[in-house]
Formats: sequence, C-alpha cells, structure tokens
Amino acid sequence: MPSNSRNLTASILVLAILAGATKALFFNTSLPPADFTFVNETEIKSLDPAIVTGHPENRIINAVFEGLTKLHPETLEPIPGLAKNWEVSDDLLTYTFHLREEARWSDGTPVTAHDIHYSMRRFLGPRTAAEYAYQAWYIKNAHNYSLGAKGLQVGDAVEVELNLPIEATNTRRGKILRGKLLSVEQEKKSSDQRVFVVEIDGKSIHYQPTDDESAAQNDPPKNTHWCRQILLDFRQVGIKVLDPLTLRITLENPTPYFLDLMGFYPLFPVNQKCVETHGSPQWAKPENIVTNGPYRVEFRRIRDRIRLRKSDTYWNRDTIQLNVIDALSVDAVTTSLNMYMTGIADWVTEAPGPTLRILRNQQPPRNDLNPSPFLSTYFYLLNTTRKPLDDIRVRRALALALDREEITSKILAAGEVPALGLVPPGITGYHPQQTTANDPEEARRLLAEAGYPEGKGFPRLDILYNTHEMHQTIAEVIRKQWQRELGISISTRNEEWATFLASQRQMQYNISRRGWIGDYADPNTFLDMFVTGSEQNSTGWNNAEYDRLIAAAGKESNEKARMEFFQQAEKILLDELPILPIYFYTSKNLVKPYVRGFYNNVQDFHPLWALWIDRDSDEPNEFMSTKGQP
Amino acid sequence: MIPFCFKRLLWMLLTLWVVFTLSFFLMRAVPGGPFDSERVLEPEIERLLKKRYNLDKSLFEQYRIELGNYARGDFGHSFKLTDYTVNEVIAQGLPISVTLGTFALVFALVLGLLAGIVSAVSRGGWADFTLMLIATTGVALPNFVIAGICIILFVFMIPIFPAAGWGNFDQLILPAFCLGAPYAAYVARIARTSMLDVLSQDHIRTARAKGVGPVRVVVVHALRGAMLPVVSFLGPAVAGILTGSLVVEQVFAIPGMGSHFVQAAIARDYTLAMGLVMLYTVLLFSMNWIVDLSYSVLDPRVKLN
Repeated sequence: MPSNSRNLTASILVLAILAGATKALFFNTSLPPADFTFVNETEIKSLDPAIVTGHPENRIINAVFEGLTKLHPETLEPIPGLAKNWEVSDDLLTYTFHLREEARWSDGTPVTAHDIHYSMRRFLGPRTAAEYAYQAWYIKNAHNYSLGAKGLQVGDAVEVELNLPIEATNTRRGKILRGKLLSVEQEKKSSDQRVFVVEIDGKSIHYQPTDDESAAQNDPPKNTHWCRQILLDFRQVGIKVLDPLTLRITLENPTPYFLDLMGFYPLFPVNQKCVETHGSPQWAKPENIVTNGPYRVEFRRIRDRIRLRKSDTYWNRDTIQLNVIDALSVDAVTTSLNMYMTGIADWVTEAPGPTLRILRNQQPPRNDLNPSPFLSTYFYLLNTTRKPLDDIRVRRALALALDREEITSKILAAGEVPALGLVPPGITGYHPQQTTANDPEEARRLLAEAGYPEGKGFPRLDILYNTHEMHQTIAEVIRKQWQRELGISISTRNEEWATFLASQRQMQYNISRRGWIGDYADPNTFLDMFVTGSEQNSTGWNNAEYDRLIAAAGKESNEKARMEFFQQAEKILLDELPILPIYFYTSKNLVKPYVRGFYNNVQDFHPLWALWIDRDSDEPNEFMSTKGQP
Repeated sequence: MIPFCFKRLLWMLLTLWVVFTLSFFLMRAVPGGPFDSERVLEPEIERLLKKRYNLDKSLFEQYRIELGNYARGDFGHSFKLTDYTVNEVIAQGLPISVTLGTFALVFALVLGLLAGIVSAVSRGGWADFTLMLIATTGVALPNFVIAGICIILFVFMIPIFPAAGWGNFDQLILPAFCLGAPYAAYVARIARTSMLDVLSQDHIRTARAKGVGPVRVVVVHALRGAMLPVVSFLGPAVAGILTGSLVVEQVFAIPGMGSHFVQAAIARDYTLAMGLVMLYTVLLFSMNWIVDLSYSVLDPRVKLN
C-alpha cells in the first residue's frame, strides 16, 4: 500500500478509534427509563433543605424529605406528615406535635423529636446562613437566636460555642458553655472585635468570637478566651422536646399559617449523624445523604438530571405509586417544550408565550393544558423618592391611564387576569381590594392638577425591566398607553437579571417591573413587603398607618379581624399607589393526560409523591378537571 | 524543541495570570452579586453569606485569597451549585463537551473533505456549485439557526432523533452535526482550494499520462498534499469547537461546559465562571501550542524559536 494512502487510512482509523472510545466511555450505561420524567427548570442549588430557595429545589426537597406537616396536593391544607397529630393552645401560641413511631430515616433509624430540634437549631444558627431563616422567626426568640451576637442584650442567657480544631468536620458544633451575658466591651470600632463577658458557673469569663483558623494560629488577647460564636441560649427559643416523639413549639404571635410553614421545605429535618459525619457540603451528595421522605436520591448529574427512587423506609411507602422519577434540568424553555412534545418529558412547567397562544387556540382543545391563576402578581414599582412620582396625583394618573385588558387579552397568552390590587384572589377569608380601573378622563385631570396639563413639562421617565421578550412587549404597550392618554413620553430600558436586581435594590430606577409569588396562602406574604424598612420595599414609600395595620394583623388571633386589618392595609396601598398592579399570573403547566394526581392549586405546587400514571383511563385527569380555586 | 516548550509554558502561566486578573475584576465590576435574588435577603443573613464566601473582605484581599487558592490548584466551591466544587463540575462537564466536540470534528472532517474533493474534481459543474453554495451558507449561518432547522426537520417532521438530552448515542448526532457544520463548511472550502492547487501540478499530470485511473489519482496522489492546509486548520477548529459549544449545549440541553459557563455567568457564580474561563484559556493555549509543534513535524522548513 502506498505511503500516502496508508497515512490517510491511519488517520481515519485514529478518528474512528477515538469516536468509538468516547462512545464506549460515555454511552455504555444506557439508563433504564424512569416511570415519570419532568423538566425541573434549572439545576438545583443544593439538596440541603436549609439553604435553598426556589421552585426547582422545592419539588426535589419535597420528594426526598418530609416535615412535621405536608401540604395537600389539591387544597394545600396542612395534613399530617412526620407528626401524626397535634394540639394547638387556645391562644394559638403553643403547638404540641406528636410524631409517628414508624417514621424512619433512609438509614433505618427512627425520626425523633430530637431530629426536629437539631434541624431547627441548625436552620436558625447563623453559621448555616439559611436564606429562608426568617420563615422560622415566628417561633419565640428564634429571631434573636438567628442574629447571633447582634441579637443579644446584657442579662440574656447565652450559649458560648468554643472553637474546634481546623481539621474538624465543618458541620460539628464546638463545646457549648451556658451562662449569662454580663457586659459587652467594644475593643475597636469594628463590630467583630467585641469582647463578651459571660458569667459561667459563678465565674465571669471574657470571650472574643473568631474563626477556628485564627483561633488555632493566634493566642487570644490577655485575659480573653477565643470562642466560635456567642448566641442566645437555644433553650430560650420556643422549641422543646417533651419526649422522643413529642415536640412543643411556642410562637411569638399567633400565626395562622404556622402549620403551613411546618410543611414548607426549608424547615424540613435533616439527619444529624449524616450531616456531622460527612460535613458540608459532602453530606448532601447522593451517596452520603440520609433522607426521610417518600423518595431517595439515586444519582445526580449536574445540569442533566436527578434520579429519584421510591424509598423503602418511608412510613407511608404503600401509597407511593411511582417507583422512579427523573427531574431534568433544562434551562431553555423552548427546549423543554420540544422534550414534552416528543414524549421525553411528561410534565413541563412552562411554555414560551407565543407557542402557548397557539397551543391554547388549537381545535379540538388540548387535553393537557389548563392554565389556572395562582398566588402571584405582576406589577410596576414607582420610585416615590423621585420627581414627579413623589406626587400621589401623578401616580394615580399613571394608574388610571392603564388599560390592563389590552395587556391580558392581546399580549399574554395563558388567560392571565387583570390586577387591580396587590393580593391575588384565592386566599380563604380575604376580600382583595381594588384600585379604580381604566379612567383616562380622570387621569388627565389629575395630571393637569399636578402641573402637567396634557403631559406638558413631564420629565422623560423610563420603565426598567429585566431582559425578556414578554416584559419588553408589556413595557412598550404601557408606554404607548401613557403616550396616548396622558401625552407623556416614557422610554423603556432593559437590564440583564442580576444587574436589574441590583438597580432595583439601590433604587436606581423610575418605574420598574416586579413579579411576586406568595410563599404561603396568606395576604401577609404580599403586604408585609411594603412596610417601612422592609428589604423588599424598594419604592421609598412608607406610611405609618400601613405599618400599624400590618403589625396589628401579626398579633391578632381572631381570623376575621386579622383579615380586616390586611384589607385596610391593602386599601391604603392602593390609594397611595407606590405600585401599579398589572396582572395576576396563571400557571402554564403542560401535563400528559395519563398523569394522575396532579391538581391545579393557588400556589402552583405539585408534590411528586401524589402522582401516579394511568394509561388506560379515558376520563380527563385531575389536572384538566380541576380549576384553581379563584 | 525543549526550550521552545519551556518558553511556551512560561508564556502560558503569564497569560493565565493576566486572564485571571482581568476576569476577577471584570466579574466583580458587573453590577449584581451571587446573592441577589428577586426576594432581597434579610441584611443579617446576607452579611453571614458574604462572610462565608469572603465577599465581605476588600476586593484586593479577595483577589489575593483567590489567586493563592488557584496557585494551589484549589478552584473552590461553586457559589450556585453549592453541593459541588468547581473541580467536580468540570470533571462532569468536560468529558461531555469533549465527546460532543470529537463527534463534531468527525462530522466537520468527513463532510468537509468529501464536499471539498467532489467540488474540486467537478470544478465548475453543478455539484461544485451546489456544494459551495451550501458551504458558504454553512459558514454564514450561526449554529443555533442550523440547530433550529435540524430540530424542525429531524425531530418533528421526520422523527428520527430525540429533541434534546444526554445519555444515549442518538442524542449526540444532531448537536454534534450542528456544532460541526460551520467547520465542515470551512474544511470544504479549504480542501477545495488546496485540491485544485494540487490537481494542476505536474506530478498529477504525469500520473494521468501514465494511465492512472481518476479515483486513484485523487485519493492516492492528490489528497495527501491537499490535506496539509486542512490539518493546520484543525488546531483552531478543535479549540473553536470545544469553547464554542455554549449555544448548542443550551439548545439541546447538554450538561457540558458550555451550559455551565452560560448559567454561571448569568447567576454571577464567580468561582465556577472563573474556573471555566481558566480552563478555556488553557484549552485554547495548548491547542495553539500543539499546532505550532505539529507544523515543525509536518514541514521541516518551519523552525521553532
């Protein structure tokens, strides 16, 4: 064979071998298919319930862990989970939970009240840095415990955690000494340099918090001891273990949705032994993690899938019908729709807007699409610290000149409802308040009164939104509506997500979009964001009466009176209009007709443990036959 | 050759340091941070999070710590995929991107060479015209447009390939083709030009005059010479394919480095984004290095210095 053609053959051979090798390397284990596959949007941040937020995490954590209560898949009522029953005191401040004897961790050990106690302490502990920690601040003294040294006052009972060697597992706690805080000495101006004088067993000892590394390397200042942290004595926090199967939780204020919060995933228990043996974040690896939920994590491939398999230690395993579930991580919405359409996925949570419109108008109507409202609002924030938005008449004029119908019927595709208030309909016992709908005549009058007749002299404001086709279209339509009705010219400005959030937070905007999804079915999750000093209130607006009403609602134990307070508060908000409500979102799930146990509900929450597959039934599944409550 | 490699290594370290420094400060100059979310964090919780990730320290102090970690080979934990270290994310993502890239390269070479040879041989004919039209279009079209067309054609109209995902061999074909297509077009044009060049040379005419058949002339006598420019294009092509799979990986939901990189940038995952930038730098640099080395092997006239 001539040399040149031998070279060619050789190079083709090399390529073929390379291709074959990669094929053998990465495709030799073809996965057996799952019973149920769904697109879980983006890759989850962690399997550690305490540190995550967000819907994708919610779906997975709810499948692999279980809290004291869990939420009913249709009504979202808290139903027994780890706790088989509970008693609530008459003042609604004390909850006594009775745990199930048969509840087990995936390593076979029983789940006890100590596990809940441990997990709650870990969740609240400052070193865990749980983003959702404030959801447990309803528990007595939990807020002060969470704040670490900042939550302490002289005279408090405190716990001093001593340093551990650097090589100790990072999730272990140092030795705990309990005593009374006598005084705090400020060494330098920096807050980390404080020395705490604590009385322990009759002796007063000086402690200075520092991290383990510097404690190991440096000697403490004279007459001072190092410690890891000083916290409120956890025994002051309203969580008591009465016996291994009984737990008592005491609250600061009556909190009607407290049982719902116990079914909220960040407060789910974790296994102390597992966490402390492996350390963070290794304990949350599929090969290490110990869970107590209906499913266990079989494996995790980053940005590919999480495979869940039915747990054989779960107390209620006989009711769990799906054996293997795949949660795919797909970031592109069009791609996930393609996967649904070609049968790779049985459930996708969203379809791109324009496609959704086509799907909704198909004849005969599709049997796998049933948009339904849930607790979430799309609105604009007005920066009330800037002229002319500091003038209430201008804000009202802008609101009155809006034609929300045009947006919901011509632009949005999933049957979204125009919003005249902040709190969406669908919360039991609450009557949503409404601002006046479209009234251009009045809007022009108000604007003239504010000194801008027919929009003359009105500064050129801009609408800020995060880069997204739908937000852009809405902003453009609103810009045109204001131009048409008020004669003012507004521009639009888009920013990429993280930049947009930073601008909003620093109030570097005139008008900005925001979407808000309720964490629990209560008006508080929407209304407390506009109290003075709230981190979420980036409008500069505040109102003493509003603050009073929200605070009063928090302390009120009579449900009717409580809702009354919220309604009055929302009315103030809608009179003063630091926000312009635009529409209430609807869910956009596409669910195959053979998927059963999937209900529309007001939180767009669909626990995996409630699902099953039935390919023989001709009847419409629960998803198509349920409407959301509103 | 040894001093050459040594020099290149020094240059690479210098480049890495410059890229690291630039990326570090650019990333932090962009507004927004890893802990920004629609729900603003309680200030105490945010303070604790920042402390844990050293973000409470001065920018220069952070830079010093990070650089020190990198010098020790510790890329740290991902900010947004907190269960994983950056090394673990790369360990899972790199083989996937390499597999995808290898197949894309195979597509690029096989299709490109075939098209180039055929159009060179039938120069001026309809085959030449059609193939070069396709090649020009292939160079001009971005790969996500090709991906869209391929999905409509081969997923929905003629359902022979899965829409997206990773794990089975058939899931690899479409993305590899879309990723390789622009490079196939380049290869076709390069192969055609060099083939035409070689076919007009004396030794080919001699071979023909001696009665060698047309297939044998092309495959045996002309191809070797025509391959050289194609081989020199392989270096940039490999680097381009490995670092250019961002969009294709997103469209086909492939958990490779491209997906990680895009999401890390969007979510301000400083550590993961930095790790991937450094990895891409090393890949690009070593590809160029290998090309330079291969020149000296293929062509004795090239001196390394």
